[in-house]
Amino acid sequence: MTVAVTRTKAEQAYSESFEAVAQKLPGGRAVAEARKAAIGAFAGLGFPHRRIEEWKYTDLRSTLKEALPPAIADATRVSVADLEAALGGLAELDAHRVVFVNGTHRPALSSAGREKGLEIGPLAFALDRSAGDASIRPSAPGQEAMIALNTAFMTDGALVHVAKGVRLAKPLLLIFVRAGKEPRLLTTRNSLTIGSGAEATIIEAHVALPGAGAGQANALSEIAVGDDAGVVHVKCTLEGAGTSHVAGWLATLGAKARYRAFHLTAGTALVRNNLLATFRGEDAKLDISGCFLGRDAEHIDTTLVVDHAVPGCESRELFKGVLAGKARGVFQGKVIVRPDAQKTDGKQMAQVLMLSEDAEFDSKPELEIYADDVVCGHGSTAAELDRNLLFYMRARGVPLEVARRLLIESFVGEALDKVEDQRLREALSAMTVGRLSGLVA
Amino acid sequence: MLEIKNLHVKLADEDTEILKGVSLAVPKGQVHAIMGPNGSGKSTLAYVLAGREDYEVTKGDILWNGESVLEMEPDERAAKGVFLAFQYPMEIPGVATMTFLRTAVNALRKKRGLAEFTTPEFLKRVRAEAAALGVSDEMLKRPLNVGFSGGEKKRMEILQMAMLEPSLCVMDETDSGLDIDAVRIVSEGVNRLRSKDRAMLVITHYQRLLTYIVPDKVHVMAGGAIQKSGGKELALELEETGYTEFSPKTPAHA
Repeated sequence: MTVAVTRTKAEQAYSESFEAVAQKLPGGRAVAEARKAAIGAFAGLGFPHRRIEEWKYTDLRSTLKEALPPAIADATRVSVADLEAALGGLAELDAHRVVFVNGTHRPALSSAGREKGLEIGPLAFALDRSAGDASIRPSAPGQEAMIALNTAFMTDGALVHVAKGVRLAKPLLLIFVRAGKEPRLLTTRNSLTIGSGAEATIIEAHVALPGAGAGQANALSEIAVGDDAGVVHVKCTLEGAGTSHVAGWLATLGAKARYRAFHLTAGTALVRNNLLATFRGEDAKLDISGCFLGRDAEHIDTTLVVDHAVPGCESRELFKGVLAGKARGVFQGKVIVRPDAQKTDGKQMAQVLMLSEDAEFDSKPELEIYADDVVCGHGSTAAELDRNLLFYMRARGVPLEVARRLLIESFVGEALDKVEDQRLREALSAMTVGRLSGLVA
Repeated sequence: MLEIKNLHVKLADEDTEILKGVSLAVPKGQVHAIMGPNGSGKSTLAYVLAGREDYEVTKGDILWNGESVLEMEPDERAAKGVFLAFQYPMEIPGVATMTFLRTAVNALRKKRGLAEFTTPEFLKRVRAEAAALGVSDEMLKRPLNVGFSGGEKKRMEILQMAMLEPSLCVMDETDSGLDIDAVRIVSEGVNRLRSKDRAMLVITHYQRLLTYIVPDKVHVMAGGAIQKSGGKELALELEETGYTEFSPKTPAHA
């Protein structure tokens, strides 16, 4: 039996909006064809909804009710001072900056210097030259619809290539700024390739200027970490109180690669960070950690799939959440160990501190293990602040608010400690602490 | 002067009375000991003095320098000079001992109307006290009490007591779990703090501690009330006779 699928107003509107803007999107004929195929696929799929297992707790069909006009070749004025303020602690970092305002590259705000073995540029240029092959629509289970939408509407992003054996002296800071009052859809994509034996730190920051309108973002990052390469990959999702941010983050790791990722998520109405990390070569290590801070009615979903496709790899995940008001946190962590992936060592932990009775945390760890010689574990906790500790601290004269703050900071500190570089950790700590004050008050 | 007047206390969510009319007065400049068997209510008294919210005072009063502390939050009591050294000091992961000490010291100084310590002043004081108690720099850098041995935790309690400059020191089983050397170090720390402006209440199960911290008065507590009071020689008597005469209905338990 065939069931006629009814599309929501927003789903239909996006298909129509594509027709209207397709001409203005970057890319040659081949890319245009790929975009057309992608919007066709999206029309068939629609937004993911709660009856799809991976989207059980985050139903985009019901939350993304409105289609927003896609921002294309945007020219909203943004000053360096505005940008620095929005970046918070990250502004202090000495980094190669690539800035995108409302999805369009802004060379004037960027400061990507030269380094031997580093190629960095806007993706839009590359799209103009692209043959539009299959790589333009990467596949990730559960993410098909959102990747299709990203392919259809992507305007720009960073294209990075670090040559074999090159150790970058400075981190790359890829900044995506939402600016201007009009609510808009921002669609961006990063494509990052780290050559074998190379080392790089890449930070993606999605921020909003004060007064930026409510909006939607669809962000996709692909990173290929070569054999023996070492990568630190950070993402800050701070898109603004009225914004929905849905993102894919697809990583592949070569043999003996070391990949350390950190996510800071706060101050965004709806977030779905969808991470997929696949081990392609043996003896690689990954560590993905993060902090998410929710207040009011914010909804923060971190969905993670780690795919041990080859033997001898190690994966570590530690996520710490603090939820206040009516905030809802979601953590779905799936570890797949394929039949060949013997000697896999995987550990996962998600812990949440509930500051309010109305907050909610949904945690769904999943282990899919098909090999027999493996060590895998996962855990998840949700707790209130420890009253005994609070009493102890207060009995020493520490006022209640200060005691609470110290305990919350120490709770998230455990995840922040996973960031090894001191300056980067301090920047992220400062941003986290700054956001926490809004939760405790 | 600490005055405890006919104090009746129960757990906030239960009806069983734990303290059944405790009366006690400790003038400034004196050290009083409370001895008693397990379950006599000694620790409850210590917690109630510090303001733990799990307990409810149903009758009576606690006055410190003539002022009732019952309505005060734990941190307000601390500002008034009350300090409780815990039997089981809490481990606070992620909060460096130094950070915690400085936060507490300066919060108290502020509330007491004193200037906060600058970093060099604070460090100088901590180092001096730490050296006297055999607390290493490495311990000060670690998260508070995390991974500390029993003896290290108790020394850290006395270090905090010295740094926070309380006028009423309540020590709950400070000797429990300590070997004889640790008892001596901790006792020396306490003795250094004895002064005419300070009242001290030492709670202990054993006489041993009181050979190092010689009290002005000893009170025997059992069944939630003070059963007998006397001079320091009372502690020695108890060492001979045990607590049996004070709790005939309760068999001794470990």
